[in-house]
Amino acid sequence: MEPSGFAYLAAGLGLLGATLGAGLGIGRLTASAVEAIARQPEAANDIRGAAILLAAFIEGVAIIAEVFALLFILLK
Amino acid sequence: MTLRSFTATLLGLLLLITFSGPAFAADSDDGDPDALGHSADGNYWDWRPIGKLELPRLFLTRSADGALGFDAFLTTKSALNSGDYTVRDNTGERVTEARFAEIMEAGDHLYYPATPRDGKIVVDLSITRQLLFVFIVALLVYLIISNLASRYAKGIGRDVAPKGVWHNMMETLIVFVRDEIARPAIGEAKYAKYLPYLLTVFIFIMLGNLLGLVPWIGVTATSHIMVTGTLAVFTFVITQFAGTKDYWAHILNPPGVPGFVKPILIPIEIIGLFTKPLSLAFRLFGNMASGHLVIVSLIGIAFILKAAFGAVVGSVSLIIVSIPLTVFIYVLKLAVSLIQAYIFTMLSAVFIGIAAEEHHHHDHDGHHDELHAPTEQLAAAA
Repeated sequence: MEPSGFAYLAAGLGLLGATLGAGLGIGRLTASAVEAIARQPEAANDIRGAAILLAAFIEGVAIIAEVFALLFILLK
Repeated sequence: MTLRSFTATLLGLLLLITFSGPAFAADSDDGDPDALGHSADGNYWDWRPIGKLELPRLFLTRSADGALGFDAFLTTKSALNSGDYTVRDNTGERVTEARFAEIMEAGDHLYYPATPRDGKIVVDLSITRQLLFVFIVALLVYLIISNLASRYAKGIGRDVAPKGVWHNMMETLIVFVRDEIARPAIGEAKYAKYLPYLLTVFIFIMLGNLLGLVPWIGVTATSHIMVTGTLAVFTFVITQFAGTKDYWAHILNPPGVPGFVKPILIPIEIIGLFTKPLSLAFRLFGNMASGHLVIVSLIGIAFILKAAFGAVVGSVSLIIVSIPLTVFIYVLKLAVSLIQAYIFTMLSAVFIGIAAEEHHHHDHDGHHDELHAPTEQLAAAA
């Protein structure tokens, strides 16, 4: 394989891991948030705010991985 | 909120973005549809059915004998026609005269980076299309905020109810930023001081995201890492200036931590200072840029299938795959535009809130039964 081929491979594998992890994380977060809202509908607003914020943190990790994957390709 | 602090924030924004914006200016090398080239920055504003509006080029150059020079041209074409400039090709070399004439003839000069015939460009200060949209958005923010501020100064919305559709609509946003973002995250005592910044940044990002969704002519100012980076630098600086003695003590000498852990913990805390604005910048940039890439890729499916299986399969896949998915992503982007503005503002407020928080009783056993308990929990999660 050409050396630059590894950059594409790294970008693809990195994105695989990041999206897998972020997907699982957001899934768990959403499940818990919806359960919590079902159990305590009066706290729905607080829970929603916290869930959006925490989803942003999880998503942030995925996006940083995405930027690195992009850098692997652009700087190969 | 005072008009003056808004103006100061905006002026600062403009200055910083002006000098950092075009550094990443990149363009596709040819006119082919290209996902990255489409969403990247460029030296023209695409009004595709009508034509391309070329934008001013400003170069700070250093000539071969080491003298600094400054050149300003209204368009790329005039820069190239002046005789002092030529273009570089894919390999970074200056093209030959024959090739240069060919490029000018075909009108492809916008897709090649301009370069002086002798010497080199020190800083490319050209007004690119994303920078143009930063200016447009900043102007809109200024008009909106000064209009609303003069209304509030007259007492409309304070003493009497807001009048008219416009004021009521904007009042919803302002009250949202105040009551849902600033108050819970920063706390009752200090939120008023940081509300002008939060409102400015919220409306700026929201407008920047939404203007990028205008069909044909829209350019997303916030899908440039320098624009989001500048916004994040603002949050970073404000956070550090908001920092209380307790905040710095927690970073430089964490209380309640065994001595041998401190050499590990303090560097982590210091790195943590910088990762917060970095993640802010990358989150907004990644979200806005990826939306464009996804749309171009979805439309690209039809072209790939056409190349592989012929025109019929291509047309059918355009109708049943590309268009519905593009519409779906477009609606999603509409939501994401507002959510990202909310998240950026919310996280800025949370970071400022953590820094500005006063600890009244020093029981650092992780048990704060104060007003800001939610903020602390979120900070721990961060």
